[in-house]
Amino acid sequence: MRIVVLVKPVPDTTGQERLGSDLRVDRAGVPAVVNANDEYALEAALKLVEAAGEGEVILLAMAPAAAPETLRKALAMGAQRGVLVTDPALAGSDMLTTIRVLAGALRRLEYDLVIAGADTSDGGGGVVGAGLALAVGLPYLSYAAKIEPSADRVVVHRISPVGYDVIESSLPALVVATQALGEPRYPSLKGIMAARSKEIVTWSLGDLELGDLAVGGAVATTAVVEAHKPPTRAATRVIREPAAVAARQVVEFLTDRRLI
Amino acid sequence: MAGALWVIGEVVDGHLARIGGELGTLGRALAAEAGLNLVGIVVDPAPASAAGELAAFVPRVIALEAPQVADRAAAAVIAAALIELVRVEPPGHILLGATPDGRDVAGMLSAALGWGVLVNAIAVTWADGSPVVEMSTFGGRLLTTSRFSGEHGIMTVRPNAVTAEPAAGSGTVTPGLAGPSSLPEVRVVKRVAETAGTASIEEARVIVSGGRGVAGPAGFATVQALADALGGAVGATRAAVDAGWIPYSQQIGQTGKIVKPALYVALGISGAIQHKVGMQTAETIVAINRDPDAPIAEFADLFVVGDLFEVVPALLAALADARPRPD
Amino acid sequence: MTELKPYRLSDEQIELRDAVRRLARERIAPRAAEVDRSAEFPWDNKELLASQDILALPFPVEYGGLGADLLTVCLAIEALSAACATTGLILAVHELAALPIVSKGTPEQRQRWLPDLAAGRTLISFAITESGAGSDAGSIAMRATREGDEYVIDGAKRFITHGSIADLVVVFAVSDPGAKRHRNLSCFVVETNRPGFSVGRLEHKMGIRGSPTAELLFDAVRIPAGNRIGDEGEGFAVAMSTFERSRPGIAAQAVGIAQGALEFAAHYANERIQFGKPIAEQQMVQGLLADMDASTEAARQLTYAACAAIEAGDGDAARWAAVCKLVAGDAAMRVTTDAVQVLGGYGYLGEFPVERMMRDAKITQLYEGTQQIQRLVVARSLLGRS
Repeated sequence: MRIVVLVKPVPDTTGQERLGSDLRVDRAGVPAVVNANDEYALEAALKLVEAAGEGEVILLAMAPAAAPETLRKALAMGAQRGVLVTDPALAGSDMLTTIRVLAGALRRLEYDLVIAGADTSDGGGGVVGAGLALAVGLPYLSYAAKIEPSADRVVVHRISPVGYDVIESSLPALVVATQALGEPRYPSLKGIMAARSKEIVTWSLGDLELGDLAVGGAVATTAVVEAHKPPTRAATRVIREPAAVAARQVVEFLTDRRLI
Repeated sequence: MAGALWVIGEVVDGHLARIGGELGTLGRALAAEAGLNLVGIVVDPAPASAAGELAAFVPRVIALEAPQVADRAAAAVIAAALIELVRVEPPGHILLGATPDGRDVAGMLSAALGWGVLVNAIAVTWADGSPVVEMSTFGGRLLTTSRFSGEHGIMTVRPNAVTAEPAAGSGTVTPGLAGPSSLPEVRVVKRVAETAGTASIEEARVIVSGGRGVAGPAGFATVQALADALGGAVGATRAAVDAGWIPYSQQIGQTGKIVKPALYVALGISGAIQHKVGMQTAETIVAINRDPDAPIAEFADLFVVGDLFEVVPALLAALADARPRPD
Repeated sequence: MTELKPYRLSDEQIELRDAVRRLARERIAPRAAEVDRSAEFPWDNKELLASQDILALPFPVEYGGLGADLLTVCLAIEALSAACATTGLILAVHELAALPIVSKGTPEQRQRWLPDLAAGRTLISFAITESGAGSDAGSIAMRATREGDEYVIDGAKRFITHGSIADLVVVFAVSDPGAKRHRNLSCFVVETNRPGFSVGRLEHKMGIRGSPTAELLFDAVRIPAGNRIGDEGEGFAVAMSTFERSRPGIAAQAVGIAQGALEFAAHYANERIQFGKPIAEQQMVQGLLADMDASTEAARQLTYAACAAIEAGDGDAARWAAVCKLVAGDAAMRVTTDAVQVLGGYGYLGEFPVERMMRDAKITQLYEGTQQIQRLVVARSLLGRS
């Protein structure tokens, strides 16, 4: 059971994220963490390989060159090795380029499953997985609450507004993970120490045989033109009254705002 | 003149999902501003009903019959049908909902067509011949405005970003047949319903959510009662979902859904950043919590310090009193 | 007398420390108040330490351990203790009680006992203290009588941490009543499932309430001669040699407790509004917090430097072990008392963690050798007496 997990180092959401002067994410000074949703994808992959008793989990990331340390944290959770696609030319790449570059990387790897996280906290919209599946020609199974692979097929429980749909396809396939798959494990101390000697291969654009695909900020299909902080909310009104009195005041408040 | 604007409606149980009306309304505004042709598209095994509903919002709807959607994962079928249609009558821009299916289709279209995609839009206007898209990023801490570099683009729009308003007249519906999908097949084996109701929580105008303070599945009956009284949906924090008190489909937050209702009522919720990210753009936030120092007190509009199991029953009584009695 | 040299934390030590800190913050801290209130041993925390390989830290790699040095083990004890002193003690006792086996055991003994300990499958206690032999270890009365291939152990030990839950107890007993004081003791490992072993009273304590402290009764307990660690008569030397590596662990616990109290008090001071502003803006509060920070940092740096020196085989190891435990224990008591002071009346209430931290801190001035004993060790080294 060979599983590729797509991992994206992102700025820590509790930190002070910044846009650079070109209005792209300034990744330089901010500590990077593995995107929260990708940890669920990784945990699901680790559990599947453990259940199969054999196989490996390979991390795949497209990120700036400083990313290896963030991949080490994911390796410490138990992935066997990592592939980092990094190239200065990729700076400022948009989602479409990311899809194409990751597709090029996947074509160089062998796997039964690709698992991606549901969204990225730094501006992603949950579309990369779908686009990547199409670009590589893989069946696409999203919003997975459960993943059950067998010899040559995979069954997924896809979360729906009212519950879930049981969907299935042949392997290899691309699955998008959700948190419902289960809490990511803490890296054990042995895992942390082992991660130091696990392999992280770096591939540049030239390694991916993408022909003369144009990449980077210059050919981005989208651009941020302006950014600002949202208006602060008005000050909070606090009610500290017995329940009956508080309830009446809440009803007044809601009525004033025409919410009831 | 720029190419046509397409609006993709989603179908739930044979009817147009509410996001369809919102996208149609937004499409109409943009088409008027920019002088564009506006086309609504619905792809479904039996699209006639939903197409008729979308026609209340846009002048022309293409109803593509796609029997495959019945037992296939919808996104690939819809995307394949749209890719085919693009070959026949290429639009300029495409609007989809920032919903699970909408996002899936948007990603596929982007890769297939080579068009850029702007996601989770909270507002779209038109200037200098192309869309101007406003998005909320970094957990809501930053609002960015983005444009497409070229002549084409795909946008996903947040539910509740726009209020649906039907047009003055009704549009035309052109039936069509979607060819078989060329994309890899994903079969639906069965559909399982765990909650009553059909709408995604992202569409709700009012959401009443429970957190750790609800202290158990029984406590969620209180949350539901208030949701019913206010005509809203029930949401939850991650703590409640992890504890098994409520399904994950109701989870709001960083690893759940992002919602923008007109009213968000938070019961027994501390307001930690992971949850805040999911609901902070709600127009009105009311919170009830025993802890006066809960973080949610800093960004709620109205904060009631009290035990939700005392305040909510009192609130239900007060609401019943306030409602005009039927004659 | 030697001097302490500068130490440096390696990248790996920092990574390991940060991993333990994260676990402590996310999983251990939320349980700490309940562990204290219920006075029940936190088996879930112990399982977590085992599954995360934290209990494997002090053991050699060939037995499934992580082969971590003393400083690394202390970093982990400190990080855990900042969240919950009882849980920090689980690692500290696991390390110190196994020291005789690790350092003086035969290859066969190490192979017999260490793998299960490293995996966290078994727990171990260190039993030297008796009702009549606390600071005065030379007055031990427990007997180990040789009978053929066995020893028969008779007597009682008191105040033994984890004694009621341990699978193995390392005991010190008189094996040669006729020999001189300090040469009459031998060290033995007793498996607690042997007939004749029983647990007597469990103590009700001021602090570290989740850690069971037990009286252990040995009624003609038979053990194979192969359970003796070191030679006959070496017991006292074995005990003394363990202190070099066990006392820094308690110093680390004390530093952790102080750090936890300091952070909570500082956080509280920034939030609590009196006279229209946070109390953090009052100079007397700032003064208290500054002194707390200075004490904690000084204790920490001394402990780390001591660990590095002891690990390097410094000739003054006993002195370093004693001085860091002395300074850190006193710092923890002072810092936690001041933390309660910063919170004022609220600091006295069970609702806030600082009163528990103050009760927890006291033990660091008492066990592993009282502060008075530590002073004797330091003075001896200073004054050139032995």
